[in-house]
Order: sequence, then C-alpha cells, then structure tokens
Amino acid sequence: MPEWPRRISEEMRQHLDDEYAALRARGLGHDEAMRQLAGDVDELSSMRARPVDAVTSDVRFALRAFRKNPAFTAIVILTLALGIGATTAIFTVVDAVMLRPFAYRDMPRIVMVMEAMRTGQPISIAWPNFVDWREQNQVFEHLGVYRATVVNLTGGGQPERLIASLVSSEVFKAVGLEAIAGRTFAADEDRPGSPRVAVVSERLWRSHFAADPAAVGKTIVLDGETHTIVGVMPAGMRFPSRATDVWLPLGPFVPTFPADRGAHPGLFAIAKLKAGISVERAVSDMDAIARRLETQYPVSNTDHTVSVQPYYEQIVQNIRPALLALSGAVAFVLLIGCANLANLLLARADGRQREIAIREALGASRRRIFQQMLTESLLMAATGGALGVLLAWWSVRAFVASGPITVPRIDQVAVDVRVLAFAAAVSIVTGVAFGLAPAMRASSVDLLTSLKDASRGSAGAGRRLRSMLVVAEVALALVLLIGAGLTIRSFAALSAIDLGFQPAHVVTMRVSLPAARYPELERWSTFHRELLRRATAIPAVEAVGLNSAVPLEGSGSESEVRYEGQPPPRSMSEEATMCLFQAASPGYFRAAGIAVVRGRAFTERDTAGAAPVAIVEEALVRKFFSDADPIGKRIAFEFTGHGPGAQPIWREIVGVVGHVRHYGLVREPDNMEVYAPLEQLPTWFRNRRPTMTLFARTPLPPEELAASIRQAVTSLDRDVPVFSVQPMEKYVDQATEQSRLSMTLLALFGGLALVLSSLGIYGVLSYVVSGRTQEIGIRMALGATRLDVLRLIVGYGMALTGAGIAIGLAASWAITRSLGNLLIGVSPHDPGTFVGIALLLVAIALVASYVPGRRATRVDPMITLRAE
Amino acid sequence: MLDRELKKGSAELLILSLVEDQPRHGYDLSKLIEARSEGVLKFRVASLYPLLYRLEKRGWILGRWIEKAGQRRRRYYRLTPAGAAVLASQRDTWRAFAEAINRIAGVDHA
Repeated sequence: MPEWPRRISEEMRQHLDDEYAALRARGLGHDEAMRQLAGDVDELSSMRARPVDAVTSDVRFALRAFRKNPAFTAIVILTLALGIGATTAIFTVVDAVMLRPFAYRDMPRIVMVMEAMRTGQPISIAWPNFVDWREQNQVFEHLGVYRATVVNLTGGGQPERLIASLVSSEVFKAVGLEAIAGRTFAADEDRPGSPRVAVVSERLWRSHFAADPAAVGKTIVLDGETHTIVGVMPAGMRFPSRATDVWLPLGPFVPTFPADRGAHPGLFAIAKLKAGISVERAVSDMDAIARRLETQYPVSNTDHTVSVQPYYEQIVQNIRPALLALSGAVAFVLLIGCANLANLLLARADGRQREIAIREALGASRRRIFQQMLTESLLMAATGGALGVLLAWWSVRAFVASGPITVPRIDQVAVDVRVLAFAAAVSIVTGVAFGLAPAMRASSVDLLTSLKDASRGSAGAGRRLRSMLVVAEVALALVLLIGAGLTIRSFAALSAIDLGFQPAHVVTMRVSLPAARYPELERWSTFHRELLRRATAIPAVEAVGLNSAVPLEGSGSESEVRYEGQPPPRSMSEEATMCLFQAASPGYFRAAGIAVVRGRAFTERDTAGAAPVAIVEEALVRKFFSDADPIGKRIAFEFTGHGPGAQPIWREIVGVVGHVRHYGLVREPDNMEVYAPLEQLPTWFRNRRPTMTLFARTPLPPEELAASIRQAVTSLDRDVPVFSVQPMEKYVDQATEQSRLSMTLLALFGGLALVLSSLGIYGVLSYVVSGRTQEIGIRMALGATRLDVLRLIVGYGMALTGAGIAIGLAASWAITRSLGNLLIGVSPHDPGTFVGIALLLVAIALVASYVPGRRATRVDPMITLRAE
Repeated sequence: MLDRELKKGSAELLILSLVEDQPRHGYDLSKLIEARSEGVLKFRVASLYPLLYRLEKRGWILGRWIEKAGQRRRRYYRLTPAGAAVLASQRDTWRAFAEAINRIAGVDHA
C-alpha cells in the first residue's frame, strides 16, 4: 500500500478528533457531537477503496443511505416485494404443476389411449376393440386398460367409500412404478376367474395398517367381497388419480364387460410407447387398426378412431393457458415495477451528483462508483425479494388451503428450495435491471458541471430515458389491464349462463349401495324408496330427490335416442341423436330447482308396473317434434340387441324440462337429456347400478343435514356409506373455478400495474416540472398564462401516455389471442374492453399529470429568475 | 452557489495564502477559513485533505510530521518557492477578476 492513504487517513482522523474535542469543549454531549460529525464520517467511509472489504463497505454505505431516506427506501422495497412476491407465487404453482418431474419413469413416453369419434370427441373404449388394439399394435411396449370406480370398505366400524380402479397388469408397467411392499398384478390376474386380490395406496397402508409390511397377505372387505392385499404402491403412484386408494385386477370384472363393440363401459387405456416411437407414429398406427375394425364392424365402429395423447399433455392442457397468462402478468408487473424503480433511482442519482463528484474528485474510480450504486440496488432487491418470498409463502398457502380442484398436483404446491432459488435469481436480475441505468448514469457524471451546478446537470438525456421508461410502463400496464378486462367480461359471461337448475340451498350427498348386498332390484329400489320417505320427514327439508347423475359433474351414461315413427337411418354414418339418460325420483326436479315447462314431473304412480314414461328436455322436443305437443309421444333410448334389427324399448313422454348444464359451463356437447323414473330403472342401470345422489332443498347447513341422512341410512343398513356431502353451489364453483381464479388474479395484477404506472407518470412529470422551473418562469414572465403552463405539463404527460397506449394496444392485439380457453363468450379483440381500458388509463394519466401540472402553475417567475 | 464556486476555483488560493506566513496543520487551516470568512466558507474533511495532498504532490506546499511534547504528531504544511510563485500569479488573476466584476456590477468593496 502506498504511503499517502495512510497519511491522509491519519490526518483526517486527527481532524475529527480535534473537531469532536472542540464540540465537547463548547458544552455539547457525546451524542450531539457525533451527530454533527456524521456528515463528515459518511463522506469519508464511502471513500475507502480497499478491494478486500469493498463489498462490506458498499453494503454498509448503502444501509446508511437507506436510513437517511426511509420513505424512498420503503417505496422501493415495497414495489419489489409485490413484484417479486407475485412472480414467486405464480412460479411456485407453475413449478409444481408443470415443471417438477413426475415419479413415473420415462414420462414423455407415457400416453393416454382412448377411442374417439372422427369429429374429435373422445369416448371410452369398447372392450373387444381394446383386445384387438392390444393384439395388433406395433407401437406400445405396454398397453394397460383401467376403469375408475368406487368401492365400499367395510368390516371396521364406519363403512368407508374408497376411490378404486380396476387395472390390467400393464398399467403398472406403463407408468413404470414398482410396489414398495409385495407386488403389483401379474398377467394371469387380467383373466377371468383370477382370485380377488388388491393393491393398496401408501396412504391407505398408513391409515389402516400403520405402514406394517405384514399388511401384505391380510384381507379387506370391498363391496362385500373379501380381497387379499398383495402389494402397496408408493406415494408417487397417482394414476388414475391422486385420490386412488385401491387397485383391483381386471380379471374378475372382464365377464361384466359387454362383448358388444357398440357398448363403451368406461374403459380407458394408458400405454408406454416403444423406445424411438413418436406420438405421431402411434396415432397413425392406431388409426390404421381403427380403419380395419371399421371395415370389419361397420355397425359399431364407423367413424371411430383412436386418440393417443401424451399423459403430460392431458395433465396440464387445461391449466396451461391460465398459468401462461398469469406468468406473463406477473412478469409485466415486475417489469413495470423495475421501470418505476429505475425512474426513482435516476432521479435520485441526479440529486446525488454532487456527492458522486466529490467522491470522484477524491480518487474513487468510475468503476468503483458504479459498483457502489449497483450494490445499493441489489441490496434493495434482496430485501424486497426476502419480503416477496414471505408474501409468496403466505399467498400460496392461502391458495392451497382454498382447495382448488382444477389445479393438478395441488398437494405439491409449496414454497421450497427450488422456489427460493428462483426468487433469489429474480431478485438479482431485478436489482441489476432497475439499478443498471442509474448506476451507469451516476458513474458518468461530469465532474465540473456537477460541481458547478448540480441542479441542471445533463438533465436532457435523463429526461429522455425516464420518458421512455414511462411509455414502456403505460404500454405494459395497458396489455395487462386489457387481459384482466377480457377475463372479467368472460367471467361475467360465464356467470350469466343459465344452469338449468337452482343450486342455492340445495345440499347433495352420495349413497352407495354395495352391489353384493343388494343383488335384487327390488331390494335396491326399496332401500331408496325408504330413504326418500325418511329424508322427506326431516324437518326443514322442503324437497328431496334422487338422481343417477349430478349436474355439472360431467359423467353419465349416454345412448342413442329415437322417436316413434322416425325413419330408419339412411346410412351407417348418418348421425344418431345421442342422449344422456338419467334415473330420477319424483322429487328430484323440485329439489334441484329444474323447471317443468310442460306436462308433469314423475309421481309415486310411475312404478315398475305402470306404463313406462320419460321426461325429456326442450331441445329434444324441438328436434324431434318441431312445435307439436310432445306429451303422449313415445321415444326410446334403449334397444334390445344391436344393428338394424334392434328393438326399441318405448317410453311415453309425460313432461318437458329445460336443459340442465351437465358437462360444464364452457363446452356442452349437443346431447339431449332424458329422464326415466327411478322405479322404472333403465335396463342399463339394472346391470350396473349407479351410485345415487341425494338432493335436498333445505336451509340447513350441509353437515347437519348429512348427520340426519346418515342416521336414516344407518337405520336401514349400517354398512352403507354416505359421502361427498356438499352444497350444490360447490359444483357451480368448481365449474367456474379456473375462470374465477384467472380473473381475480389478473384483475389484481392489472390493478397493481395501474397504480405503479400512474406513479411513474406522476414521478416523471414532477421531475420535468422541477427541472424546467426556470423555463416555466421565463414563459410566465413573457406572458404565458397559468392555463398555458398547465397545458404544457399535462400535454407532455398525455403525449407519453398516448405513445404508451398506442404501443400497448398493438401489443394487446397480438397477445390476447393466446389467452385461448380463458376467454368464454368474449372475443380476444373485444372492442369494448380495448377502448374502455384505454380510456381508463387516459383518465388515470390525466390525474397523475394534473397534480405536477398544478404545481408548475404556482411557479413565481420572480423567484425562479432571481435564483439564477 | 458562491461556496461551490470558491471551493473549486479558489480553494487552492486560500490554502496557499494561509501557509504563506507560517506552517499550519489541516485542522488549523479549516478553522481559519471558517473563522475568517465568518462561516461563509467551510471545508469538509473529505475535500480538504485530498486537496492538501494534491498541492503537495505538485510541489507547491511541503508537509512535515511534527511532534510536540504531550501531543500527537501533526502534519504541518509550509509554502515552497514554487508555491509562492503560483500564489503570486493566482492573487493577480483573482484581483483582476474581482475588479472586472466590480466594474461591471458596480459592487463597492468595503
């Protein structure tokens, strides 16, 4: 080290000592004396340039700078916390849902295989078709078939209902997971006559067997049948759903699958592609097989093909548009925040030109000053980032706790090390992004001019940069707000859709009768009849009914429907009218609030022995009978046998109801709804008894009603579980969940963007006003009125806003298209939204410009001119 | 404004003038400047000592550590012959400048 720094620092230290002694001698206390010295100390400590502790000293200096200006620091850190917090929270969800690897081996090779109409609509697989696919395909290493079901677990106190899946042995091979105890299924367990065995989930193993390895070999009673546990699957096994608790081998159920290719008994397939086989190749290979089957079995297979879709796609396809839109939104908020902070820091850098010039005069290199400035912004970014992580942690927890059902892998959404690493990276990038321009400007301060007159400096270049930042902010905010506006309109459109039922004050719950205990239809019917009688007797229950399907739940049984006298189809490919058929008790329509627009609802007289009747929806009446009175006409949705010789089972129409949204609010397939009385159960249901759902219109809270119903059920049969107790409104909430979530979050981010960008406009105009005080003074001295001055400033603000809006509108036009399925019932280029949001921004910008504009009009020409 | 101008343009002149008659240390200089200007001029620590260093490096003043009994050592600065020449020339320039200003502005120096 050269001699001089040590020498100078010794002199300075002495100086401070002397000054301190002098102050004390004048009677000042220690604290007051130190305070008077603080200015000198600050300047000195920022000068130390020894590289070893340069970082520490920069940080210390930055902290002192923060303390000196707490309001400024708070604004900066708050902006950062909001921006980084929002970004981190959204990343947490995106990471868990889309990015984090799955437990399955070779996820990219796992595909979902389904039967599909050539129109694109997927349907479940006919069993004989699956057998042919399995034998003929060249593309799959493993092709497994499964059917989701529900079983009742009994034998240990309260009966429980378990989510189960019938699976062929290949399902486990396709996902590539081994049992953690015992084994999965063997190929011979896919064949009829195989023994009753079960593989259970890790969750069930823990909750019912205390994770005891000896559980393998024990037995459980499912639907009244004793099953031997042969294996336990790891927690990563979430196929077919993460709620699956038990897997049963296909074998014992194969005889129940119809040998008829026209029947689609809810079977789906999962497969693993052979190494090197692309999805496209699999699609064309399977389509070739489908075409062969079409020629062989024209009656059942015409227009049927095979859909092959990557499993990953199927998991993320519905949520991806929402996540992409939200990721874009938070990135915009963060960018706007950065632009704002860069603006603030630029203004401050101008204010600190003298300080910087002094340090440079003392020998601090430009690099050193640059580093010092960047340290400050990085330190603020780090603090903001830490607060942001807290914000993200809190909001993610609240989000998960709200129990969204349309978000895949929601149970894995949590702030973890990956998320922290992401937040750290974002903070650093952010710190550099908003700190770079001010640091560069600060380190290129012109020594002489700034020492001579700091108030003017090189304000021209700074103003250009700051104005550009504001234009960018306005443009970004506009895009974000238009996105938010479109989703709000979309949600409004969604909320305005007629559901066809009145969900308020309706409680639903499921009652599942084990097939083994109720083999005879009469016993099954008696149970339901008795249940309804007891439920009706519960005080405060206004109406109660049973139905085999639940509106908006999206599952049900479909079939072709015909009317009496309908001409036979001219060709095989002529489209049949499909209907969703349901079995409903008389009280169902009143309980669910479904209006009977013509004729009557079912009554107690529509018994098994009475004439078969049906209730149909209006659209079916329009299609089949035009304007003629449909009451008394006959339709059939079931046939004995198949093909041209099939005999319809006629039912007389006794009532007409409105369309009930069944598959969701967004896309309703154009199927017709048909109801049969529960007591005249359709043949299909006789062999596959549906789990009935009870609907009760009552002001009682769901759990209270459920307790009464449970009591009624237990008194009838103590082994029958009551489950899925929820208000009917919850089905509506679930159907609108994604739309509501994206709308709420986009509106939130849009609001944030609006606040930030109006602050940006305000900030830059205030700066312009203070920088142009002299000019304004001169103008006023030369006769400009206050209005002229106001017009000058506000005009400048509006010019910036206008430029931002023009860029923003063009960008929105290009970007909103990608909102895709988030927008329902509104065009991505909805002119109302575009114009409305642009006007909103103009109005806000006008206010933000008016305030500094007013200040400019108060400039006193005499004072400003004298200051020169 | 005046403060800044003077500091930049004439700080050298002030220092050189004050060490013309006798050697002085930094703290002494800063106090003298503040007192004689009746508080109008004031040097910050951060600018005074580097300035002294620069003047010494140019050979206009010469610093020397001096220890007095019972006190810490202090660095006293005195004017070199080269410094004396610079001082004389700066005084002329300043006088000419000040007179010019006075003639134009009509400020009457007391």
